[in-house]
Amino acid sequence: MSGQALPLEITDLRTTLFTRRGEMKAVDGLSLSVGAGETVALVGESGCGKSLSALSVMRLLPDPPARIVGGQVKLNGRDIVPLPEEAMLGIRGKEIGMIFQDPISSLNPVTTVEKQIVEVLMTHTELGRGQARVRAHELLELVGMPDAARRLDAYPHQLSGGMCQRVVIAMAIACSPSVLIADEPTTALDVTVQAQVLALLKKLQADAGMAMIFITHDLGVVAETADRVVVMYAGRKVEEASVDELFENPLHPYTVGLIGATPTPGAERAERLADIPGMVPPLNALPQGCAFAPRCKRVMDRCLTEKPALTVPGPGRLVACFAAQGG
Amino acid sequence: MQRFEFPRFEFVGRFARNRGALVGACLILVVALMAVFASVFFPTDPLRIVGLPELWPGEDPEFPLGTDSLGRDILSMIVHGARATLLIGLFASAVATIIGVGVGAIAGYFGGWVDEISMRVAELFQTIPNLIFVLTIVVILGSTLTNIVIAIGIVSWTPIARMTRAEFLSLRDREFVQACRSMGMSDLRIIVSEILPNALPPVIVLSSLVVAGAILFESAVSFLGLGDPNVASWGRLVGDGRQLIRSSWYICAIPGIAIMITVLCLNLVGDGLNDALNPKLRDR
Amino acid sequence: MSLLSLRDVRVQFNTAGGVVRAVNGVSLDLAVGETLGLVGESGCGKSTLGKAIMKLVPVSGGAIVVEGVDIAPLNRAQLTDMRRKVQMIFQDPYGSLNPRSTVGRSVAQPMVLAGWKPEATAERVETLLRWVGLPSDAKQRYPHEFSGGQRQRIGIARALALSPKLIICDEPVSALDVSVRAQVINLLEDLKSQFGVSYLFISHDLSVVEHIADRVAVMYLGMLFEVGGRDQIWKSPQHPYTRALLAAAPIANPKLARARQRTVLQGELPSPLNPPPGCPFNSRCPMAQDRCRVEKPVLRPVANGAQAACHFV
Repeated sequence: MSGQALPLEITDLRTTLFTRRGEMKAVDGLSLSVGAGETVALVGESGCGKSLSALSVMRLLPDPPARIVGGQVKLNGRDIVPLPEEAMLGIRGKEIGMIFQDPISSLNPVTTVEKQIVEVLMTHTELGRGQARVRAHELLELVGMPDAARRLDAYPHQLSGGMCQRVVIAMAIACSPSVLIADEPTTALDVTVQAQVLALLKKLQADAGMAMIFITHDLGVVAETADRVVVMYAGRKVEEASVDELFENPLHPYTVGLIGATPTPGAERAERLADIPGMVPPLNALPQGCAFAPRCKRVMDRCLTEKPALTVPGPGRLVACFAAQGG
Repeated sequence: MQRFEFPRFEFVGRFARNRGALVGACLILVVALMAVFASVFFPTDPLRIVGLPELWPGEDPEFPLGTDSLGRDILSMIVHGARATLLIGLFASAVATIIGVGVGAIAGYFGGWVDEISMRVAELFQTIPNLIFVLTIVVILGSTLTNIVIAIGIVSWTPIARMTRAEFLSLRDREFVQACRSMGMSDLRIIVSEILPNALPPVIVLSSLVVAGAILFESAVSFLGLGDPNVASWGRLVGDGRQLIRSSWYICAIPGIAIMITVLCLNLVGDGLNDALNPKLRDR
Repeated sequence: MSLLSLRDVRVQFNTAGGVVRAVNGVSLDLAVGETLGLVGESGCGKSTLGKAIMKLVPVSGGAIVVEGVDIAPLNRAQLTDMRRKVQMIFQDPYGSLNPRSTVGRSVAQPMVLAGWKPEATAERVETLLRWVGLPSDAKQRYPHEFSGGQRQRIGIARALALSPKLIICDEPVSALDVSVRAQVINLLEDLKSQFGVSYLFISHDLSVVEHIADRVAVMYLGMLFEVGGRDQIWKSPQHPYTRALLAAAPIANPKLARARQRTVLQGELPSPLNPPPGCPFNSRCPMAQDRCRVEKPVLRPVANGAQAACHFV
């Protein structure tokens, strides 16, 4: 690594939910770095903490109940966790953009597409209204909005889900942020539209050299988009590897289970899917040892009492499992 | 028919979290106990003349709240009046709830022209000023307790019908209702045993507020001298005292305060029920 | 004889914006013991078709034949027999169970409606819960105490109650997490081999359909574009829409994903209120010609042994 700071470097991030039922460690010591032009997929099932991690990075946590209780989030070398909210206003949308799962509710229903993009531009750049409007048009063209000039005056409800997501993407990249966080950006979209949006995100990222965190539960989407994959379970990172290595040689039993549970057309057809028994434990009732132990096929005595730390089984890989380390 | 069940402890806990509702519920309980045990506390007829007229509260320790223009014990009348007032409130609310839930459920479940007609009728009822409507019915049917209760029920059912209809509209297309239909369950059974238990919580909240409204209506009717002459409700006490409002204002004020506190408490209880029953607020 | 035969089934809704032909002339056969996957994008009418077979939406034309009896013209009272043969599993595990009914009561409903004795019903509920892998104390509990996957099992138990021959599965695993989804898919397959039940499996997830279905029907804007065996469809898709759909579906294998050619289909589904004339796909089809804008194609046998509705294959 050169002396230049990475676009995004998360160290030991801890986010806790303070609820009536007690404190829940929703994100428990997540470390993650993303290089320029790199896509890191954050994978896991509902409740694993992947979305809260993204909201922590954006400092958009719903407080109460959620609060960052420790760790660093370095954006281009600067730790943003201690920054006051006013400082974050200048960072969100400018240095770091976010795309949410539901495109229609991410947009203001009573304002035209053009005004929403112009507002983002005028908040973060020196552009005047006229220039911002020209730029808004360019951005819509850039995100492949069909008939862009006409859509500028449209209201969100007049657009389809796919088009709304394009507008959201246009707003997210309007100020050329160095980091883009996409939280399940295609989950609400149809297959053919999903393919369009994935192709668009890939192209935009390659052109601008953005660092991207791509949050998804869909291993198919991971295989299509990611360079590196981080698998999360119950608030902790359990495995990290390059996308090829992860699918070819998954080490953590949970990753093995996830891949086995996903049907893959074109590959050898398995008679039965390899399901993972049981379900994700609630965050307020995590087992004492490894959170995955109750569902794990390779569980050992040690797993029940001790939380496995992340170890390095090979270059560029991390895994938190006693069995994968060979006991 | 199936029982309507809540996870009870959770329900009580959520209700008690709302301090106002807790205070309201306690005061309502006191009023209710007063009503139930009125004849124990004051075994004699409250309308009997027992002392000097127009004794101010505190003037004679035998009559802590004083006496009225005829020399009747105000405390005794308040305690006995609680019974009439609460009963009128509860029964009128029950009448309104039965009509409202019935109309709303049918309108919301079947939709189409049934819905159209029901809602037009409801609008018709809403366009007539409520108090004038109640007075008209009472004047036509006669000033008996039953007629007053029915009259108040008839003017108060529309909000309950609208609420029930809205709940049914949102519930009738839920998948569990479709599952019932795909099993061949009859419409009546779906309405009564599947949708209704889910639609009731907000309706219960509204019904508790209708009790408060009914008490106010009855007070107004009695104040105007159209109440049942055989029943000493709080409203009638206010009405009886109004000629002396310049000299002995306490005769009006004391039953007035009783009405105010009871209605306020019922509203607080309604809020608490809303907190406890409204699933959107759960787990906050 | 087919277990289920659809002939030119039509469903239309009158909305404020005009008439929506949600199902516009679908003909389809489903054999005993078969799993037929019905795939398509949102708004293509696949769920409406499932509901039409259950008579949950008004059928405006065509025949729905279950074991030789056309149920389309029957009224509710006459459907009792058919209700036993055909049951449904719903998409939303949170919405498909009455939140104020115990699980036992929900599962018992079909038996109660069929007039079973209480003891027999209770015994059956126990058996059903065991089959779908739920503890027997589940019957006293309420749906909110269960996870999504467990609730879907409850829905499956209810659908199995009267030993149906056909279960219509409307996106049964779409709302579930990956690991739980696999559990439910495996359960459905186990139940099929155990009881010989047939499935009409409605889903937008192609990889799931590829895994579970014997035959596949592809739907677009109310009509069928291609019907064929699973391997026929996946190895040699004929209809341009089927090809585009398969090309767009993500594959959970980075090598395969990179190796395949990706032609991203442009545009989005046209509004069902105002579908293009002729072939409804002509607005997005890379092969569209003048004829497609005038003449609506019909399903006919094509090269791979399947049937496709396209003028040019």
